[in-house]
Amino acid sequence: MLEHDTRTTESNAPAVSRAVTIALLMVLLCFVSPSHAGGFESSWSVVESGTSEDLLTATEYDNQIWVFGTGGMMLNSSDNGVTWQSAESPTEYDIHHSDSGFGSLLAAGDSGLVLLKQSSESDWLDISLAEASRINDVALMGSGSVVAVGDGGAIFRYEGGIWESVPLSIQNDLNSISFYDGEFGVLVGSNGTILFSEDGGGTWDYREPPEGAGGANIVAVEYYSPVRIYAITDDGSILFSRSDIVAGTDVGYVWTLIDFERHYPPGSTDYLLNPSDLDVELTSLEVLTTTKLMMTGAGGYLSISTNGGTIVSQQINPLGNDTDFNQIHMLTPFVGIAVGDNGAILWTERAGEDDQVGFSVPEYSNFGVFVDETKERFKDGFIATIKIVSFGIVLGFFLGITLAMCKTSPTSLKNLVERFEPMQVRVAGAPILVAGLYMFKSAIPGTQGLGLEGIEYIFLPIGAPVSFARILLGIAFTFLGLLFLSNNGRFSKIKIGALNLNPWRVRPLNTIANVYTDFFRNTPLIVQFLFIHFGLDLGGAIKTPGLEYFSFEKLSQDHNFITDIFAIYDDNGTLIGGLLFNTTFISAFCALGFNSGAYQCETIRGAIQAIPSAQMEAGRSIGLTYLQTMRRVIMPQAIRICIPPMGNEMVNLVLNSSLAMIIGYAEITRQGKLIVAQTFQYAYAWGMVLISYFVVTWTLALFLRWMEERTRIPGLGITGGE
Amino acid sequence: MIYSGGVHAVRGISFNVNEGESVAIIGSSGSGKSTVLRCINRLIEPTEGRVSLKGDQVNTPHTDVNNLRSRIGMVFQSFELFAHLKVLDNVTLGLRHVRKMSKREAKERALSVLERVDMLDRVDAYPGNLSGGQKQRVAIARALAMHPEVLLFDEPTSALDPELIGSVLETIKGLAEEGMTMLIVTHEISFARDVADRVIYMDEGVVAEEGPSSIIENPKTERLKKFLSSLHEDDVP
Repeated sequence: MLEHDTRTTESNAPAVSRAVTIALLMVLLCFVSPSHAGGFESSWSVVESGTSEDLLTATEYDNQIWVFGTGGMMLNSSDNGVTWQSAESPTEYDIHHSDSGFGSLLAAGDSGLVLLKQSSESDWLDISLAEASRINDVALMGSGSVVAVGDGGAIFRYEGGIWESVPLSIQNDLNSISFYDGEFGVLVGSNGTILFSEDGGGTWDYREPPEGAGGANIVAVEYYSPVRIYAITDDGSILFSRSDIVAGTDVGYVWTLIDFERHYPPGSTDYLLNPSDLDVELTSLEVLTTTKLMMTGAGGYLSISTNGGTIVSQQINPLGNDTDFNQIHMLTPFVGIAVGDNGAILWTERAGEDDQVGFSVPEYSNFGVFVDETKERFKDGFIATIKIVSFGIVLGFFLGITLAMCKTSPTSLKNLVERFEPMQVRVAGAPILVAGLYMFKSAIPGTQGLGLEGIEYIFLPIGAPVSFARILLGIAFTFLGLLFLSNNGRFSKIKIGALNLNPWRVRPLNTIANVYTDFFRNTPLIVQFLFIHFGLDLGGAIKTPGLEYFSFEKLSQDHNFITDIFAIYDDNGTLIGGLLFNTTFISAFCALGFNSGAYQCETIRGAIQAIPSAQMEAGRSIGLTYLQTMRRVIMPQAIRICIPPMGNEMVNLVLNSSLAMIIGYAEITRQGKLIVAQTFQYAYAWGMVLISYFVVTWTLALFLRWMEERTRIPGLGITGGE
Repeated sequence: MIYSGGVHAVRGISFNVNEGESVAIIGSSGSGKSTVLRCINRLIEPTEGRVSLKGDQVNTPHTDVNNLRSRIGMVFQSFELFAHLKVLDNVTLGLRHVRKMSKREAKERALSVLERVDMLDRVDAYPGNLSGGQKQRVAIARALAMHPEVLLFDEPTSALDPELIGSVLETIKGLAEEGMTMLIVTHEISFARDVADRVIYMDEGVVAEEGPSSIIENPKTERLKKFLSSLHEDDVP
């Protein structure tokens, strides 16, 4: 649209471009600097146990930790697991399981061994079960009350010094038992067995295992809270049940297998995506909080999950992969032990989570370090801002010119119909009127269906957009129809009281442009962002058909630098770049462009109106059409006039682009926010964001000033300088 | 023609301009001279009446108004050159985009008309750097380049300093001698007398007197007499 001018201002141009170069160099300097890497270290430490027996179970009793193992091995620690003493043991059988509570300590193992210690001073009481070959798990129900489970569906209750068998119809091996209190308990075993008791273990109900776990050997269970139970299988799956308030089911009725999203191998930030299981023989489970789990397994497996099991991180094990770990016991969510074969005891005070060495928090308060650590994010944000700003400016400018042309368009209804005979116009009016009335009628069902009352009808455009559009069209068509029907070829005014109206002078293009600019100038930009991205999903609406047009099939044969602007694929057909890659980007620049277009329109309209109307007459008088005169005569002069106010609009657009952060577009303000969240250096981060914006707007202003100088023509406007 | 407010700017006007004839319209300010001129190329739409150019009616909704205007040249009181275009481009604009001439053809014709108005030495200047008289001569060249069938002048000299008027009048006079059909609204009574074949005197929206240019010497109506004598007081020809 701009006519090229040869009158350059030689003295100013180099000075301006030099300033721009310096500004760009300053920005680049901010971003150039080296970076460094790091590694991981285990937070488990090896504790001397003084034995080489396999340690099988651990529990907490009377401010001590007790550990039991093969050959009747008993160890205890009074200092939270840092040092261990062996305790005198009344048995030589392997002790597999232990429990504590109600002032009692319980240990059980091979050949029906059950030992009970009812106070810390008293000796072990041998209450072994003669008829059971091996106890798989025991649970204390009271100071002298025990439930024990074994292979082949065996359940025994010890009460008042007597063991009695609880009859059960299934023959599966029972592996683990967990009571939440004296009444509610859960029991798991082979072949997906899940049993539930609500009377302290007297009777057991069968519960359906989750789909896919029907044959699983469930090895451990923990009744963590009245609403939450976790269990694990020996093939590396996690089962989960919780009460569902909406469906009204209590915990334990509905079980699901947890879908793993990621499984991190130790000492790495790489992960396996969506593994079917953890690929390890799990042995024990410790639930620390509602979503924090720790697990042990064979082959040195120690892991932690902080989100209920969907993401599981295996941790570095200082003993290597030959040690099988049998149980984990945490005193607090951070301090605890893991016990394993050959007398292995590991101790942690950081929940076993790997320490990041070398990744230690950089000294962000040192500005040099801060810039080093954050420059990548700043660069990404800077580029993202430049991207939406440049696309927004282009879109806004073309919208603005189009709207300004519409607003200044002289085409009135009279111009449109005056070339036809009045009779023809009247004949055309009838069907238009009918169409208008039909629009009203067809809008009624959609409108009434909403059940709105009174003032609520102002929200009609959102509730029933089609009906609203029909009402608008109905108004327009009815008006046109009535007007056409009344046409007598004189196009005269209508007098209504003191009002003197001429409906023939309505300019349709002007009306449409006015509706557009009124809408965008009278609503906040931030809400426009939210509505356009989340409400209309404009990004998605453009991306889907756009990708059909720029599909992988088409581009794999024939792609060039123009198609690369829109979509870039890798060899497998995955979209990896281009404008259509990011829906928030599309929404963001559209919202910005639509909004800016409404404001730029007014600026350009003002400039058009500043051109003397005789220029239009001069153009028309040599035979140019209206549009030719606009394009060749009016616009070239108007654009020159509106460069300074347009600079204002463009700077505004740059500043407004910061609102795109609200829809999640990672431009520089959002990056600033993320950097603050990571570093807590408010002054540094926001200061750098400010400077970045200043660099963009100042460069833009310099560019526009240069444009103004370059395109200035003698005799047009008062410039205040040569 | 009715202006808003119900004032009839002109009414009951009827006159012919023959081919090769130059006609001057004189009259006091507000007498409707310019309105008549603008009605001829429909910069103003006459509400009633009929305007014809060589038998083609001008003021119907079916007329191709752009084609019509390209046959009627117009020169404005305040020149209305396109400020962003050089002298040469001002002249070639219509040729390129209305007559659809090639760049070379348009330039050739533009140079020939600029030569005729004696502006050949300033073809690369911007209008802002020209004097008023030069501007008006370029404007005349712009209208002439279209090879119009009739040229309309809307007070071509009233925005000029007295010492610049001469060159413009000389140019118009030259055109009249070459047989250009012209309709000139002017305040230059002596110029009208020298150049025009006929003179139309307008007053209060009607033609008050019409006749050969000699009526300026011998006005028949009282109104023209009065008008001329009012001019003579401060503008002796």
